[in-house]
Amino acid sequence: MNRRFSDQLVAVLPRLRRFARGLTGSIVDADDLVQAACERALARQHQFQEGTRFDSWMFRIVQTLWIDQLRSREVRKEGEEIAEDRVGSDLPVRRIEARLGLEEVHRAVGRLPPDQRAVLLLVTVDGLSYKEAAQVIGVPIGTIMSRLARARLALQSQLAAGCGSAGRAEDAAAR
Amino acid sequence: MPQPADERLIAYLDGELDGAERREVEAWLAGDPAMRERMAELAATAALVRLAFDDVMHEPIPERLLAAARGETAPAGAGARVLPFQPRGTPAPTMPARRRRLMAPLAAALFGLLLGAGAGFYGAGGFADHTAEQSAIETAANDLWLDNAAGYFKLYQSAGDSGLIDVPATQDTRAALQKISQNLPAEVRLPNLKPWGLTFRGARLVVVGGRPAAQLVYTSTNKAIGDLNLIIGSSKQPDIPPTFARRQQVNLLYWRHQGRSYVLAGQADIGYLWGIANDIAWQLDAI
Repeated sequence: MNRRFSDQLVAVLPRLRRFARGLTGSIVDADDLVQAACERALARQHQFQEGTRFDSWMFRIVQTLWIDQLRSREVRKEGEEIAEDRVGSDLPVRRIEARLGLEEVHRAVGRLPPDQRAVLLLVTVDGLSYKEAAQVIGVPIGTIMSRLARARLALQSQLAAGCGSAGRAEDAAAR
Repeated sequence: MPQPADERLIAYLDGELDGAERREVEAWLAGDPAMRERMAELAATAALVRLAFDDVMHEPIPERLLAAARGETAPAGAGARVLPFQPRGTPAPTMPARRRRLMAPLAAALFGLLLGAGAGFYGAGGFADHTAEQSAIETAANDLWLDNAAGYFKLYQSAGDSGLIDVPATQDTRAALQKISQNLPAEVRLPNLKPWGLTFRGARLVVVGGRPAAQLVYTSTNKAIGDLNLIIGSSKQPDIPPTFARRQQVNLLYWRHQGRSYVLAGQADIGYLWGIANDIAWQLDAI
């Protein structure tokens, strides 16, 4: 066991958990996914190239395992059909106030198609550059840009719509 | 010149455009209030998403994951038991249903808000070797906090009053601040900075360092002081005395006191900032 390798793995665990939580939408599933990723990383630590980013390598493992699981279970992509009709709609800024209902944000992220969700989590939540995210997911930067744009616009629409009846009632009362 | 597509607006917010592309977007922003509003919406959404996943970083790492990372689990092949994806259980308590305005940055000025990488170090607490880790965490958190504060100041400078103020000063200021305070751990009080020639213009609810905060906006006709923001948030970190920093060409004087974080942001030099900070501290008993 390479102690340094293990230390790096421990250090990146919080970020892996956050990434996995966003992908799966579940605490248990996320930790199972991270555990599986740790096991795979340790089994394949000889494949890690010194001098490259360890976190990106681990994100890639998590992402790959997750995609494998989705495929093997034929889990339907919940969010695939939503939001497209809303994307690009020009809702006023009031609608994006979104009341800091963070659970609502989690749900909205969970409704995104898996490929968009992964890019959103890597770039917007974890702060990877487009190039780094492209390396993690294994697609061109242009694909990252388009997925990210679709994800952000869909989220914006969903959160705006999520202001719900309370918001609309408040709007009406304010008029 | 065609209007930038959404992809480019988002790439601009993410700091992913080169100089020429950035200038092109900025030219559009300067002349198009609707686009500024759209940018603010996009930035607000991004800030919300980051905030939504911030809690995970503060959770203790389950022992089984630490063991797995150290290679102490069952041999490879046994693998982790991966349960079917399920809907979430009992939803976490949500914030009150009141709607809140979370206007967020619109320009490169706001790149600090998008520094998710800094926040990525938050949750490393709980490791065996704490000192270096903790130091890195605090540095990253501090950087994020200050970048956010500078970004919000520059946002207001770029956009002025146009829709960015949640609570204009023309309303009942006390009631307005109480309203904003409902989103914060403790009530925000308004320092009177008129003796400095500073006029309170209004307040906004913002997200600084991943936490809600109040941005109090003051303007001045005194060019030596200029416009000034006081950003008051909450913090679990230890108290620190007023400290000077500079981010994104913005002067900052920041301190933490009894669970609260304060940042004075503006173009005034350090002498003015010290004087004003002392005045604020005396009024708010903040230092």
